Amino acid sequence: MHRAEPALVPAFQRPASHVAIRRAESYEQDLFELTYETLRELQRREEAATASSVVTAAKASGRLGDMRGKTVLLKPNFVGFDPLGVMNTHPAVVAAARESFLKLGAARVLVGEGPALDRDTEAIVESIRLREYVGQLRGTFTDLNLDDVERVPLRTRASRLKELYLPRTVLGADFVVSMPKLKTHHWAGVTLSLKNMFGIVPGGCYGWPKNVLHWAGIDKCILDINAALRPDFAIVDGISGMEGNGPIQGTQKKGNVLVFGNDPVAVDATCCRIMGLLPERIKYLVGAGTLLGHLNADKIEQLGESIANVRTQFAVLKEFDKIKEPTPEESN
Amino acid sequence: MQPPTNADLVSTVCLPFLQAAQNQDGGWGFHPGAPSRVEPTCWALLALIGLESSNERQPEGFRFLRRTQLPDGSWPCSGEQNVGCWATSLATWALLKDAQSQTAVTAGLRWICQDWPRADGFITSFMRALGRRNQVTTQDDSLQGWGWTPHTASWVEPTAFALIALDQAPQGLLPDGATRRRQFARALLYDRMCPGGGWNCGNPMVYGVPGNPLVEPTAWALLALRDEPNRRENVMSLEWLEKNVSGILGAGSLALSKICLEAFRKQWPMNAPDLNELYVRSEFLGNVPVMAWTCLALSARSAWPGAAERRSDA
Repeated sequence: MHRAEPALVPAFQRPASHVAIRRAESYEQDLFELTYETLRELQRREEAATASSVVTAAKASGRLGDMRGKTVLLKPNFVGFDPLGVMNTHPAVVAAARESFLKLGAARVLVGEGPALDRDTEAIVESIRLREYVGQLRGTFTDLNLDDVERVPLRTRASRLKELYLPRTVLGADFVVSMPKLKTHHWAGVTLSLKNMFGIVPGGCYGWPKNVLHWAGIDKCILDINAALRPDFAIVDGISGMEGNGPIQGTQKKGNVLVFGNDPVAVDATCCRIMGLLPERIKYLVGAGTLLGHLNADKIEQLGESIANVRTQFAVLKEFDKIKEPTPEESN
Repeated sequence: MQPPTNADLVSTVCLPFLQAAQNQDGGWGFHPGAPSRVEPTCWALLALIGLESSNERQPEGFRFLRRTQLPDGSWPCSGEQNVGCWATSLATWALLKDAQSQTAVTAGLRWICQDWPRADGFITSFMRALGRRNQVTTQDDSLQGWGWTPHTASWVEPTAFALIALDQAPQGLLPDGATRRRQFARALLYDRMCPGGGWNCGNPMVYGVPGNPLVEPTAWALLALRDEPNRRENVMSLEWLEKNVSGILGAGSLALSKICLEAFRKQWPMNAPDLNELYVRSEFLGNVPVMAWTCLALSARSAWPGAAERRSDA
């Protein structure tokens, strides 16, 4: 049975989204405790908001809600062979999320990814030592590139694509968590929880790279994919990110944060602001802000650290200079 | 668990795995129990063809492929799709081993030769005619090989698969234009080589930064270009592959490297990882193509590129 996709609700009808910024400076620290406590806090916020809201918040946005008995799919960003841990979501963050959702009562927590450029997924997950963090991969990890697929008609027409064949493991999950790394991207500006969903499009149908998405327009496809299969939650690994020529060949950049939220658009907008970038200048985020979530900071209830406290300017390629926040001197 | 020997890995693990993973409809999925798909069926068949004891259900595999061919001669990736793709090269290559499949092979070869990747638009072509190169990448976009899916750009692996399929086909079955397509495709592969040797999916340089080669595209490109072993690009790429074998962590990459280096008569590096140990680690994640490539890497393989040359040496 398939998960019920949330309705596409215009921004003005959506309740406020919740985003939590947590300072985390090392992958060696206790990320489980931090993750679990943050999820619990967001659950409590959601309960309070739902009780007081006349809007059907449950339909509009992802909800942590009661996780008991659910199948959760964690979708990290494992983009390439990375023994130095520069480009991929760190497995310690994945393991902390996995343990947290299990403690919240999830029946199963799977990890799934379909790398876009290299079809040797086993080599990629071994290079980052995923097995050491989550245990045996068989039964836990799914290579979404080679998963069984099902035709999914697209709900939006941002690109010219009318349908996609998507993995049954994703379609069958009750709760999908997008877990990107905090990175700039040489085609899209940034790659965060929405762009990360490119990884659910199976290489076994579309190849390596998934070039059909590029020809149909990266920005437009990000919208169509996320409207077709909207992640319920996002956890961004910003402990160590990437700036410049991301998502693979950029430079490692410490962000010292984990960012959590029930609205992937709001999470991505918040991450942009942490990176010193303007989400309102990133084409696909502007589009996503109309139907998929909140871009506007006024509609994002911030928990944890303030953006100002953790802001770290990420360098971008000169083609993307326009998305950088102006410095105080430039503003004057 | 003790790692098995090479012979044991083939006879007691890979072969029984592939036999058990064959579905009732004759095909294979990417994993045991998964619905049959064209690509894993091709790899499983190509592996089993070379193993004498595994002939019983091969005809059903060939029948599955003939049944899933689309009216235009192509094959889709998944049974639900009705558009052909790169799997056409693999299916044609596999069916070349079956005497009953000549009609299907002929149609497949015709589709391959008629399937052009998406060309640049008028403005891009005009700019190129004026001598303006692509500012983001340095590759020659006028060269054309094959894409993964119709109406998309050329990439290294589908181009290599198509070249291998065309190379394996008897001259009499090749349609008009096959020679020209092969010339274009070979030029494209050499153009897409990374600056220090080796290939990735097909972007040797982006924003002035050299792309990092990857093992699998390198092995496929070399196998497609194996008749020019002394050409500078192939020598460089073989050196890259030999140098990097010791760091391979995935069984698929390791098996393809072994096949490739043997096709070029290179010594298997002493410090290479052991496929048997990789099997013990994760049982290849139950991946049918990886099991098939392992069979091919560890056994005599009459159906594989390069094998004919080795046989004639014997």
